[in-house]
Amino acid sequence: MNRVPVPKLLLVVAILLAAVYLFPFYWMYVTSLKGQSEIFANPPTFWPRDPNLSIFQDTWEKRNMSVFLWNSVVIGSGVTALTILLGTGCAYVLARYRSGWIDVALFTILMIQVLPASVMITPLYVGFNQFGLLNFPRTAVILAAAAKAIPFYIVLARATFMNVPRELEEAALVDGNSRWGAFFFIVLPLARNGILVLAILTFMQAFGEYIYSKSIITTKAYQPASVGLSGFLGPNATDWNGIMAYSAIYVTPIVAIFVILQRRIVAGLTSGALK
Amino acid sequence: MRRVLSSLIDGKGFDILLVSLTMIFLAALAGTPLVYNVMMSFQEVDMFNLGTFSRPVVGLDNYAAVVAQPEFGLIIRNTAIFVFGSIAGQFSIGFALAIFFMAKFPFASTIRGLFLVSWVMPGLVVGALWGFILAGDFGVLNAILQGIGLTDGTMFWKSDPNLSIWAVTIANIWLGLAFNMMLLSVGLAGIPNDLYEAAELDGANGLQRFATITLPMMRSTIGAVLALGLIYTLQQFDLFPAITEGGPANSSNVAQYWAWQWSFLLFDFAKGATVSVMMLIFVLVASIVYVWSTRHEVRG
Repeated sequence: MNRVPVPKLLLVVAILLAAVYLFPFYWMYVTSLKGQSEIFANPPTFWPRDPNLSIFQDTWEKRNMSVFLWNSVVIGSGVTALTILLGTGCAYVLARYRSGWIDVALFTILMIQVLPASVMITPLYVGFNQFGLLNFPRTAVILAAAAKAIPFYIVLARATFMNVPRELEEAALVDGNSRWGAFFFIVLPLARNGILVLAILTFMQAFGEYIYSKSIITTKAYQPASVGLSGFLGPNATDWNGIMAYSAIYVTPIVAIFVILQRRIVAGLTSGALK
Repeated sequence: MRRVLSSLIDGKGFDILLVSLTMIFLAALAGTPLVYNVMMSFQEVDMFNLGTFSRPVVGLDNYAAVVAQPEFGLIIRNTAIFVFGSIAGQFSIGFALAIFFMAKFPFASTIRGLFLVSWVMPGLVVGALWGFILAGDFGVLNAILQGIGLTDGTMFWKSDPNLSIWAVTIANIWLGLAFNMMLLSVGLAGIPNDLYEAAELDGANGLQRFATITLPMMRSTIGAVLALGLIYTLQQFDLFPAITEGGPANSSNVAQYWAWQWSFLLFDFAKGATVSVMMLIFVLVASIVYVWSTRHEVRG
């Protein structure tokens, strides 16, 4: 019997599977390059007849994307900063000790993590309205989205801190460091890579945040790119190459960062979620 | 005072400070709203008393009114289809892929990692992509299905009331598939190889090895993945405004989108709170299963 080179065959199958799975991305880029009539062709063309690159600049200007994307960056950075500030120390302490109180704190955090945003938005909106926070809509969204991001961040960052050997910290304490010194100069530098990956993940999630922004931010000048996209989306959408060009501009940076940092992101994600 | 200060710098106070800052923030922005939500579901909240703190208490009226809505039954049915359809699809395809990628071949982990790019996408963009793929006359899914001979006619995924909930479910299966696969891969990697070798020596075939080794060893992972699937499916919101907006005629509306519509389209915040409290009960059950099945791992 002829021996088939099994690993090579499996590699071909794997590439085919990935191609099928990632087809929607290909379709996004291809559609954005098609002309207005080619989009509605039946059967569809799998390669644009007359690729038109000017669509990206047109969409950027017509849809005012610079404002939307800037707001997404502001919201993403705000959420990430707040999450790192509040989550890192907490994750460290939760990784260091084991007691009934720590279990209660962990349980609380896991329970907060599962609350759907669609459940939280009604009371948050009414509460923000009563405290006048709706006058600072982007801040309100950052606060709300950070409360959603922090529990997730803590669970994953805690797994990172678990991998920092305790002996190093104890040695630093014996050498006369305070707890603060040992935390900032010994533990944090050792956990730096893990925290960086988690920060990028937090940013990506907040960069695409939709429900809080849609409900809280009514002024167009403060809306992020997700709300901008929803403006011409929906069951009756027709401007499909515009939508795809907008989507492509919106997600290409995320896709690029993901592909570059793929190995680390996947490792960071899986380490804490389920070990 | 000195003792408190030195404890903050060098003792237990340091730990308590770090944890309590975060806990206060989470209590203010997650705990309080949760309680407030339950309170509002027993009150009458409209545009006039939205800014005040004293509102008329109406008891269970909101619950009675929500249940009496003609679309109530339909929305329960749709939510069940969406949740169970998504979980079944994500889990079975994700498990199959996870097992496939356990095989040894070049670039296996790199290619597997590429799948996870769907997980970092903005939900609204995923909705936009699938909204176009699932379009009736010019959608590429119909063209492919007809091309391989699975269907003859055109499937109006988004506008046919019998199909619209499935349109969103298909998009959600695609979105959650990669995360399921990744978590199951981690679980599979934790099973010692000698078990399989011993079973192979004893003459067990592939199916027997799967049933007697893989499944029992993966029990806690599977429990956690299914519970997380339920939690994430009930969290999924962005696909609905992007693909069908719950339509046509609520045929693809689900609890989480309905709750939002009550509050932010009809401005009846009490009803929105009521629907979300009902939904919350399911989420809490799922999260107890999740916490229970990960209790060993989380305690570390």
